[in-house]
Amino acid sequence: MQKPSILIVDDQRDVLTSVRKDLQSLQDFFVLEECESAAEAVEILEQLDAQGELAALIVCDHIMADQNGVDFLIELNKDPRFKSVKKLLLTGLATHQDAIAAINMANIDRYIEKPWDPGDLLHNVKILVTQYILRSGVDYQPYLPVLDQDTVYQELQNRT
Amino acid sequence: MNKNWKLAVSAAAPLFILFLPASWLPLEMTVIEQRILAIFLFACLSWILEPIPVYATSVLIIVLELVMTSDQSFILFQGGENDASLGTLLNYKDIMATFAHPIILLFLGGFFLAMATSKYRLDVNLARIILKPFGSNPRFIMMGLMLITALFSMFMSNTATTAMMFAILTPVLKSFDQNDSGRIAVILGIPFAANIGGIGTPIGTPPNAIALRYLTGADAIAFGTWMCFAVPYVIVMLFFAWFILLRIFPMQSKEIHLTIEGKFLTHTKAMILYITFAVTVILWLLGGMHGMNSYVVAMIPVAVFTVTQVITAEDLKQISWDVLWLVAGGFALGLGLEKSGLSTNLINNIPFSTMSPFLMVLFCTLLCYIVANFMSNTATANLLMPIVAVLGASMASLEPLGGRTMLILATAMTASLSMALPVSTPPNAIAYSSGLIQTRHMSIAGITIGLVGLLGLYLLMFILNTIGFFA
Repeated sequence: MQKPSILIVDDQRDVLTSVRKDLQSLQDFFVLEECESAAEAVEILEQLDAQGELAALIVCDHIMADQNGVDFLIELNKDPRFKSVKKLLLTGLATHQDAIAAINMANIDRYIEKPWDPGDLLHNVKILVTQYILRSGVDYQPYLPVLDQDTVYQELQNRT
Repeated sequence: MNKNWKLAVSAAAPLFILFLPASWLPLEMTVIEQRILAIFLFACLSWILEPIPVYATSVLIIVLELVMTSDQSFILFQGGENDASLGTLLNYKDIMATFAHPIILLFLGGFFLAMATSKYRLDVNLARIILKPFGSNPRFIMMGLMLITALFSMFMSNTATTAMMFAILTPVLKSFDQNDSGRIAVILGIPFAANIGGIGTPIGTPPNAIALRYLTGADAIAFGTWMCFAVPYVIVMLFFAWFILLRIFPMQSKEIHLTIEGKFLTHTKAMILYITFAVTVILWLLGGMHGMNSYVVAMIPVAVFTVTQVITAEDLKQISWDVLWLVAGGFALGLGLEKSGLSTNLINNIPFSTMSPFLMVLFCTLLCYIVANFMSNTATANLLMPIVAVLGASMASLEPLGGRTMLILATAMTASLSMALPVSTPPNAIAYSSGLIQTRHMSIAGITIGLVGLLGLYLLMFILNTIGFFA
């Protein structure tokens, strides 16, 4: 079974650690990659793409030392190679303008505010990776134990 | 065993057969027959071990036959002009034609109906209407849910039907008392009804279609005829499944409320869908009366929906080509066995006729039941059906019991009865992934229903034979 990656991007170590902890239950099925900057995330994405590996989701902070999260996601959204990668913005400090840009230009799939509720984050991450798996063409059956049930039902209904 | 090992085994064993000197083979075979035997062995191993997806195995079968056994095969495989031991090369067009075999197109027609049905929510709306008279007693609601699931799975894929029903059911399952074992009954009732319902029509599930492939000429069974004997069986099995599930997992809740939102769409495209669906099914049922067989009828919705754009180019991408190709590969395998002469060779050289016909029926159905519990039902049927067809044709002693038609039907229908484990069928996997049931729950109920279903199947075959259906 292929293990698609979930990238967690935040310049604060402790945030990375605690997001990773919250998503721990997924790690038998997905690779959890920690990135301390947008640049590092790009590097990993390039690497995955070069090796033909899948990137399922990016969980991204907004305010970061170098490039900010929304700008990074906007750039990513323009790259056809990463069109299908799901994007979740996890931030407490985005302005109204940032949020508008994130929706209109980065096409983000979820916006979750810091401080976050671990259960809520995991639930939303599961929904997004479920959509990704069922639309990516890989066999969904091995992943069923960690996928979001309701999303599975929605996606499978339309199959012939 | 890891993937590379599985791949190595699936490749090495057939290669061994391929290079075996002719004198070592137990039967006298032509070179082409030997190659077909190797391809068959590869199909067996690859479908069982699954080093590659099951439909990829199918595609590979077709391509291997083209490259190694057809009249357009690689030059070194074609042999010299007068090479008598080579045998008959297969016509490459016949092999390629399995991709568009009439039965494949019958399924395509079914896919079009199913896609349009779920696109315009006819399925959910029908479910809402049909469920109404079942009231609020959870036992009867469960019966209603199972009936709907079975009905839909006769025309839609069992997987999509199960997913749709669970989408409707999710709020109800959450409102159930945690300790009410009736919840397990409801959760198992859906996939079981989908598996059983698939038996109802030739397009209900791929194993049925594969059986049709081997029932040609005088043995051919029309769409309506199939339903005449299969639907009563489905209904009896549904009631049994409902009864036994509630026996094993008693319902404690006194009342549940199931609300399904929505109303029937009335715009032009939806109306086109309703009418086309009804007309197609009626034409299927009327079979011989209008001159069009079920394969030709299946093309009508394809034409109507594309012309009226009920199904758009974008929708076409949702067609499960993997399912169609999985079946096509099985057809190519059957074709190879028949056209190379290997089937006849086996019939003539193995003394099947000395075996007890009863034991043969028991053996074929039980083998199918067991294998299908562990691997894809379609792949199981792909593998077993050509063998069963050969067995059926070669055993004169089977004639009094219904002959090859009976053996083929019984084996094909058995594939749908395998529901002992989460891996047995995709509907079972979906139910299991709800996390609300355990494997042992599924196994206890699934094995009971499967074995009783087998007994019912023998009874059905006995009745059909008594009324002279197979004669």
